[in-house]
Amino acid sequence: MDERFTLTGPRTPLPPPPVKRPWHEGKPVAAMVTLAVIVLGCLGCELFIPKDPAYMDLFRPSEAPGPAFWFGSDPMGRDIFSMIWYGGRVSLLIGFLSAGISTALAALFGTVSGLAPRRLDELLMRLTEIFLSIPSLLLIVLLQAVLGKAGVVSLSVVIGVTGWTGMAKVVRAEVRRLRESEYVLAARCMGAGFFHVLRRHLAPNFFSSIMFMAVMSIRSAIAAESTLSFMGLGLPLEVVSWGSMLSLAEKALLSGAWWIILIPGAFLVVTLLCVTSIGSWLRGEGNDQGSNL
Amino acid sequence: MDDILLDVQDLTHCFRLGRNRTLRVLDGVSFQLRRGEIFGLVGESGSGKSTAAKCIMNILRPTAGKIRYLGVNTCDPGQFRSHRKLLQTSRQIIFQDSTSSLNPRMTVAEIIAEPMAIHRILPSRGSLRAEAAFQLKCVGMDPGCLDKRPPELSGGQRQRTAIARALSMSPELLVADEPIASLDVSIQAQIINLFKHLQAEHGFTFLFIAHDLSVVRYLCDRVGVLFRGRLVEMGPAKEVFSHPLHPYTQALLSAVPIPDPRRERARQLLDLDEVPFDREGTLAEAFPGHFVLRKEGTA
Amino acid sequence: MRRKNPVLYYGGKLLSFLLSVFFLSLAVFYASRLAPGDPLVSYYGERAEKMTVQERAQAEERLGLHQPIHVQYARWLQNALAGDFGISYKYKTDALSVIAARLPNTLLLGGTGFVLIFTGALALGAVCAWNEGNRLDRFLCRAGTAISCIPEFWLSLALILVFAVRLRWLPSGGAYSLGGGGPADRAAHLLLPLTVTVAGHLWYYAYMIRNRLLEEIRSDYVLLAKAKGLSRRKVLFRHCLRGAMPAYLSLMAISVPHILGGTYIVETVFSYPGIGALSYESARYQDYNLLMLLCVLTGGAVILCSILAQIVSERIDPRMRSGEPAEVTDHG
Repeated sequence: MDERFTLTGPRTPLPPPPVKRPWHEGKPVAAMVTLAVIVLGCLGCELFIPKDPAYMDLFRPSEAPGPAFWFGSDPMGRDIFSMIWYGGRVSLLIGFLSAGISTALAALFGTVSGLAPRRLDELLMRLTEIFLSIPSLLLIVLLQAVLGKAGVVSLSVVIGVTGWTGMAKVVRAEVRRLRESEYVLAARCMGAGFFHVLRRHLAPNFFSSIMFMAVMSIRSAIAAESTLSFMGLGLPLEVVSWGSMLSLAEKALLSGAWWIILIPGAFLVVTLLCVTSIGSWLRGEGNDQGSNL
Repeated sequence: MDDILLDVQDLTHCFRLGRNRTLRVLDGVSFQLRRGEIFGLVGESGSGKSTAAKCIMNILRPTAGKIRYLGVNTCDPGQFRSHRKLLQTSRQIIFQDSTSSLNPRMTVAEIIAEPMAIHRILPSRGSLRAEAAFQLKCVGMDPGCLDKRPPELSGGQRQRTAIARALSMSPELLVADEPIASLDVSIQAQIINLFKHLQAEHGFTFLFIAHDLSVVRYLCDRVGVLFRGRLVEMGPAKEVFSHPLHPYTQALLSAVPIPDPRRERARQLLDLDEVPFDREGTLAEAFPGHFVLRKEGTA
Repeated sequence: MRRKNPVLYYGGKLLSFLLSVFFLSLAVFYASRLAPGDPLVSYYGERAEKMTVQERAQAEERLGLHQPIHVQYARWLQNALAGDFGISYKYKTDALSVIAARLPNTLLLGGTGFVLIFTGALALGAVCAWNEGNRLDRFLCRAGTAISCIPEFWLSLALILVFAVRLRWLPSGGAYSLGGGGPADRAAHLLLPLTVTVAGHLWYYAYMIRNRLLEEIRSDYVLLAKAKGLSRRKVLFRHCLRGAMPAYLSLMAISVPHILGGTYIVETVFSYPGIGALSYESARYQDYNLLMLLCVLTGGAVILCSILAQIVSERIDPRMRSGEPAEVTDHG
């Protein structure tokens, strides 16, 4: 060993060997895969669905699952298996559309209210509170009446317009907090305009909380669509969606046809669960600090 | 009077506390900054130092008084607007707390280049990144930090980043609002030396706000002493520290520890809370360039 | 912080409450009148469609529907202030008495649900915080999130299918059996709707209290308390829970009307005769007077509770008191 006598300074520590982490660590893989299967299945349902979901086989209503109807048939003799994929398309579309609408509304309203002078801000917040205090079901009925016959787009608008208040409050609180922060002050001193501050400082900082809430609003929009259609306030029976399929549930209850209720419902609930777990992953609630207790 | 860069006249600022109560934080403060000097503004906390800095930087609008920068009255919205570009590029501020004055989601390179990006100044060193690397080197930091984000930096490095951001515009006037108050003592010394070095190199005019007297004595050419919103004494740093005239300055200086055990033991502490200091009167020139607040008619 | 004059303080709150209710009633009045739909149908039923033009005009005049909307509103407001909220078109009786007949049912369902949610969430949240990160906590978090994902109407359907249709243990709907009405019978009818109500809300509040508790646990005073030698249980229950309480109480205060009156879906699915099902009906069939009264009552309750929550949290927690920050002006 020649190095025995070399004078060395303090030993330079070797860089720690890179820890190889499995790529899926911490990611909700199961939820992502399941959701992908459902979404792709709904989008490409023409490719593998043999039956027309709208075809009513009037001689075989409410038939239990079997070789003819994999998931059974509904009281109007339609094939539930095909309806689920076609209906899923409508339900997901409404979910995404109305989530988009409410996120846009919330971001706009929250930013304006957060940047407004105090009086205007108070007024806007009071308005949201009044808006919140109108029972949402009533609001939906009123809006639907104004918009006319329920279709996919009008229902998305109705759900989107009724579901933005919570998100707007979060955006407003974030904007207010960030607005007072010194780096925004520093940027204003440097002469940054409103849009620069919004783009470089505000948006990146509340993006993560917005993402979480936007995903969550997809979830609540899908749930709202099914609830409304079930109660007869949403899509009519001819427009197949998970909700309108379930609106036949009352009849099914009497005849004990469980598949009419449980199978579309299971798809609905599984989708909601997947969206939720992806949403909470996005929020990234990593709390590194140890417990003091 | 060409060498006067910043002229503050009768600066007064009141904060509104509720409906009919106001708090007068600054009360008729006047001072002038000559081109290329380091002016220290000292005082205890709550004496209005930061408010003065914010008024100068147009963050707060003064209740009364005038601030002229290069002949532009910055308190006048119209004049401010027409000279906005000049005012915003040639005056820069460094805040006290670098954790909150740097956006935690931006990289150091982005932070330093931000003012250039805002004003769409073409970088003379090729790219904004090269410019940022150059500025980073100027403040004595490793270019490897360019892609780090503020939470990964130490306090001293963060403050250096803030300094680099301010210097990237090669400002005429640099305002530093207690830039070392949130740093460790050893880091404080480094930053102070950095300031001294940078000022000698760039020749900018420097308004340095601090409550640490020994630092001000070391760094500044001239000082002003603020007491509850009034400027009670102003003059060359050496003069003021060796012959303080106003009782408040004397009390303040008595609180500075002396690095000599025998003299330190003999040091008498004046109580800052008990002594009723004068806040009345006008600034009068006691010695050439050395002003002190005096009541009219007394010598 | 200066003490505020209590008269001004509560007066201001009262004024803002009254103003909010006024605007709410105005908005609902206009919206419901502008919405297409025929209120005469709910009054006369099938007969309305066969009416001649003259008959229609007469009927509208009798119900005061021919006047411009603002006149109608002024009349409604005048009567309402005198305690007369008009008659329900559908039930042909005083709107107030229609609601009064159904209110106890909703209060029973919502009230029991509220108490269960309040205590259950507290217990569940404390259990999770106590076991933070271990298997029980993870399991509860997963299960809670999963259950709160299930839409209420579908949970109701599934429960009816299992317990009422298949097993025949419990009735499938209503508030009591025909003729009967003993406490046991009411309880049996209440069980399924109550389960759905609690399942729908419980985890939201439990998760909130869990996270508040974890925040408290991470603060330094917990270390101090531990250093003093307090046991884990004492620290959690005496110190952390107290710190988490104000936020929880004010959240619960806001949620009172939501839980009490937000049982539309459950009431509709279980055909439970309560306020929720009534609102749904009145909105669908343009029963104007009933609709107005319901909106003003539920909306008023929401606003009242949110103001109360604000007062409570300002009382308990001085940080919440809105200290007016210095106005920052800049000309830029």
